[in-house]
Amino acid sequence: MHGTTTSIGLRRLLQGMSGIALVLALLALWEASARLGWVESRNWPPFTQVLLALWDGLRSGELLRLVASTVGFMLVGYAAGSAAGIALGLLLGLSPLAQRFASPLVETLRPIPIAAVVPPLILFLGVGDALKIFTVAFSTFFPVLLNTIAGVRDGSEVLRQTARTLRLSRAATLRKIVLPGALPAIFAGLRTSLGIALVVVIVAEMVAGASGVGHFIVQSQYAMQPAPMYAAVACLSLVGYALNRLVLVLERSALPWHGAS
Amino acid sequence: MKRRALFKLAACGAAAASCGLARPADRTRLRVNVQTIIDCVPVVVAIKNGYFAQEGLEIDTSTSGGGAVGIPGLLGGAYDIVQSNTVSGLLAFSQGLDVQVIAPGAKMLPQAPTTEMVGRRGEAYRTAADLEGKSIGVNNRNGIVWLYARAWVKARGGDPAKVSFREVPFPQMEDAVRRRNVDAAFMVEPFKSAAVKSPELAVVGSPFGEVQPGTDAGHYLTTGKFAAQNPELLRKFTRALRRGVEWYNANLSTKEAQQIVSEFTRLPPAVLQEIVLPPMPLQVEVAQIRRTAELMRDHGMFAAVPDIDRYINKDLIAP
Repeated sequence: MHGTTTSIGLRRLLQGMSGIALVLALLALWEASARLGWVESRNWPPFTQVLLALWDGLRSGELLRLVASTVGFMLVGYAAGSAAGIALGLLLGLSPLAQRFASPLVETLRPIPIAAVVPPLILFLGVGDALKIFTVAFSTFFPVLLNTIAGVRDGSEVLRQTARTLRLSRAATLRKIVLPGALPAIFAGLRTSLGIALVVVIVAEMVAGASGVGHFIVQSQYAMQPAPMYAAVACLSLVGYALNRLVLVLERSALPWHGAS
Repeated sequence: MKRRALFKLAACGAAAASCGLARPADRTRLRVNVQTIIDCVPVVVAIKNGYFAQEGLEIDTSTSGGGAVGIPGLLGGAYDIVQSNTVSGLLAFSQGLDVQVIAPGAKMLPQAPTTEMVGRRGEAYRTAADLEGKSIGVNNRNGIVWLYARAWVKARGGDPAKVSFREVPFPQMEDAVRRRNVDAAFMVEPFKSAAVKSPELAVVGSPFGEVQPGTDAGHYLTTGKFAAQNPELLRKFTRALRRGVEWYNANLSTKEAQQIVSEFTRLPPAVLQEIVLPPMPLQVEVAQIRRTAELMRDHGMFAAVPDIDRYINKDLIAP
């Protein structure tokens, strides 16, 4: 039928734009509430001022430096925590005995909220880079560990029996059957952990930092400069979005056979 | 609560505290932890004007959010000297931790009040009846602001147990009062001056001035171990710091001083012009520390007043 393709295309375009429209509407509400005095507070600048602060921060390079520093430390901690989580997860997933042994410790440590952990850690790690990296690694570790264990467990039993029949070595079984089978779950764990890692590095910087975006956010509040504070928050939000998209791309390329969500 | 457990844990850290940092190079490095508040500007002044360099010292400043972070860092060996408020320092000392006062930090002068109680204009807080049942915003429970807020309620005839103290960070206090999340809040600069610009808000009391004029609000601390091993180093530090304080006090109203404060605290110069910059003290007043300790005991922070004579470094401070 003539015109169907156009109307479908148009509908898709409008659907895609509706999400952006919602964001724009909320920002307009923010602007109006600040300018028209619906919300009167020193800590509620109009959004346009935040945009100006964002522009100033990017132009001077300060925001980029802060973000680079924060994301840098986050990625180091994230890599360490993920690597440890995957390695231990494979071990515990394959060995029920090992899992029973480790489970009480894991279940005790896992629920500890990171903000509670940071102050005691200051004693051992000081107030600086080691603290940030450790707290991120600690928070990243658990979701990746649990997802890896689940991924190993849920891997196809048929494939494992096939491997046994074909007399594949332990290492080869791990490499060719177990690990690929666990990858979808591992990636799910990695995506969850990424969100957590970003939050945790900011919290560590806010509580015990002297650098980075988290510290800048606290400092801006104490310096009575809310617009730069919100600009830093906006930067963070964009970074989080970008990192998440990056992981999705990596997942799609690593798991072409699996419909990545 | 959290802080108490933290300080107890710090006792283990104290054993691991690093010692000795003599560098054979021309300058000795001292790691000093400060907060980016006006109280610590004299250190910055002393660095900028070369007073530390003239004593052969290189000061490595790091910033943190306050005594709760600074003192564990000191005990864990991350810093040699920290700036801390009086209450945090006394609390640590009362728990047997190896901290001592080496230099004055800040003082609450009645003639230049910076930290005051702000409430709604027209509301009275004179009598016990006015205060009881109300809520007061403080930045941290078990801190110096909380302690003097309670003492102020008592001084005005109220029972602090009948007043609720809510934790509100300083930047959010003005909003909290306006929205009646709290009835009044104990604010520091620059938030206090900014808040009273609103017609609805006004200063309703001056707790430090009413309870204990001249309170020693903060000091520079080190560990007893570091002090025993480096007495000459500390003498040099305090000498240079003193010169920084003297310069700062003499140049308070100049553009140069305002520039230094603005750069350090990140407060815009326009905001700085609205606030009173108080002079910094040159002496530690031991009687004031003792009085603060007595208040801490009276308000349940510890069972008995600790031995203040052992809390101050007698080589550097007259008892």
